[in-house]
Amino acid sequence: MEPVLLLQMLIAAVVAVVVYTAIGVAPGTDETAVLAPVTLALVVAGIPLSVVLAFFMAAIVAKKLTDSIPVSVAGIPGGVMSAPMVEHALILKREGHATLAIRKMASGSVIGTLIAVPISLLLAFLLTPLASVLGQYASQLFFGGAVFLALMSREKVISLISIILIAALVQSLRHLYWGMGVIPEGQVVFISFFLGITIGPMMFNLAQLTVNKERAAMVEPEPKSIQIFGDDERGRLPNPFRILTRQETVSAAASSVLGSVTFFMSPVGITIFLGEVMSSWVKGTVNKASRALSSMDAVTNASYIAGILIPLAALGIPMSPMAIGPGNAFFNAPPVLTLEQNAHHLMSFSEIAIASVLGAGIALLITYPIAVRYARKICVFVFQHVPHEAFLAMFFSLVMLLAYMDAGLMGILGVMVLALVAGLLNRWGVNYGVQFMALYAAPWLMGLLV
Amino acid sequence: MPKNTKGYLNVWDDTVSGRDLLLALIISTPLTLGGYLLAPGTPPLPLILGLSGAIVGFFINAVLFKPKRLLDFGKEQ
Repeated sequence: MEPVLLLQMLIAAVVAVVVYTAIGVAPGTDETAVLAPVTLALVVAGIPLSVVLAFFMAAIVAKKLTDSIPVSVAGIPGGVMSAPMVEHALILKREGHATLAIRKMASGSVIGTLIAVPISLLLAFLLTPLASVLGQYASQLFFGGAVFLALMSREKVISLISIILIAALVQSLRHLYWGMGVIPEGQVVFISFFLGITIGPMMFNLAQLTVNKERAAMVEPEPKSIQIFGDDERGRLPNPFRILTRQETVSAAASSVLGSVTFFMSPVGITIFLGEVMSSWVKGTVNKASRALSSMDAVTNASYIAGILIPLAALGIPMSPMAIGPGNAFFNAPPVLTLEQNAHHLMSFSEIAIASVLGAGIALLITYPIAVRYARKICVFVFQHVPHEAFLAMFFSLVMLLAYMDAGLMGILGVMVLALVAGLLNRWGVNYGVQFMALYAAPWLMGLLV
Repeated sequence: MPKNTKGYLNVWDDTVSGRDLLLALIISTPLTLGGYLLAPGTPPLPLILGLSGAIVGFFINAVLFKPKRLLDFGKEQ
C-alpha cells in the first residue's frame, strides 16, 4: 500500500475519532442517523474506499466507547445500543460504585474490538465459499431473525403481528413510489425507511405535541434533573485488562465471539440477549451488573464490527443490519458503487484488513484514555451547553434530507407515515431489532402472499 | 434558565421548551433541505451542502437555545 494512502487513512481515522467522540456523548444519537449520511457522502464524493473504511471503523469504535459515557455519568443512554445498559449502570451507582461502570464498559469495548476484528476477518475468510448460498437465503434469515427476536421480547404477540404489518407498509410505500413514477420501477428505497424506523419514537413524540390532550400529559413543571455521579479518574491510566476480573474477561471475550458469529442478527437484540445470559449465573448485585455491562459493551462492539466486516470482506451483499444500515454506502452508493460492483469487489482482502485494523486501532488508542479519564467533564459540558432542541432539529432535518433524496416529497410523506407507525409499535414494546429485520425481509415476505 | 409559564415538554427522554423546539425545527430544516435543493449541479455537492446545512443549523440552535436540564452534582461540589 502506498504511503500517501496510508497517511490519508490515518488522517481520516483521527478526524472520525474527534467528531464521533463528541457525537457519542450526546444523548439519543443513533449510529445510523449519524454515520449513514456521512459515509454515503464520502463514498459518492469519490474518496478512496480504504480511506472511507478507516474513517468508518474509527467512527464506530469511538462512538461505541463514548456511548457509554452518559450511561455511567448520568444514567442516560448515549444511543439506542446503550439503552439496555442503563439499568445495570444505575445498580452500580446505587451500590456506591459510580466510577466502576465506565471502566467496566470501556474495558468491555476494548476487548470486544480486539476480538471482533480478527474473528470477523477469519469468519469472512471461512464464509467466502458460502457467499452465494447464504446470499440466496438472506431474506429468509432476516425473517427468521425477526421471529426469533419477537419471541425473545416481552411483548411477543404484538411483535409477531408487527413483522407482517411493517413489511406490508414498507412494500406499499415502495409500490406507491413506483406507481406514481417518483422513482424507477425496481429501484429499492431503503435508507429513508431505515431512518424512519430509527426516529419513530421521536417522530411519534413530535406528533403527540400537536394533540392537545397528549401534549398536556407531556408537560413537566421543571427541567429534567440529571444527577452527575462520581468523579473522574486521577493518576495513572488503568490498564483495560486489569479492570475486569478474569471471569468478566472470559464472558466479554465469549460474548464478542458470539456477537461476531451472529453478525446477521440485530445488534441491539443480541446485546440484550447475551447481556442477560452472561450475567444470569452471577451472584451478587454489583458483580452481576459489572458482568452484564462489560459483556454488553463487548457485544455491541463485536456485532457492529463483524456486521460490517464480514459482509464486506466475504459476501458483497449487505447481509447484516449494520451493513445495510450505517455501512450501506459501501455496498450501494450510485453512481460510484452498485450492488454488482461495490467495495467488496473493488477492495482486496488485505486492503479491507489494513483499513479496519488501522481505523479501529487509532480509535482505541485515542478514545479509551479520554473516555476513562474525562468522562465526567465531557458529559457535563454536553449537558450544560448543547440543548436537546438542537439534536431533535438536526435529526429531523437529516431524515427529511435523506427521505427527499430517496423519493422527493413523496419520500418525506412516506417516512412520516412509517415513523409514526414504527414509533407507536415501539411504544407498545416492539423493539428496533424486530422492526429492522421486518424491513429487510419485507419484499420476500410480501411476495409469499400473492 | 428561561422563564416559561407553561412549563417544559418531555420529548424523546429530555425536557425542551415548545417554543424553542419549534424555532429550532424552523431553523434547521430549511438550511438542510435548502442546502441540498439549491446546490449547483453535480451529485456529491448537493448532499455535502445539505449535510453542512444540518451542521450549521445544529450550531446556530446550540448557541441560540439553552439546555433545559438541571444538573445535580451531589454533595461534593
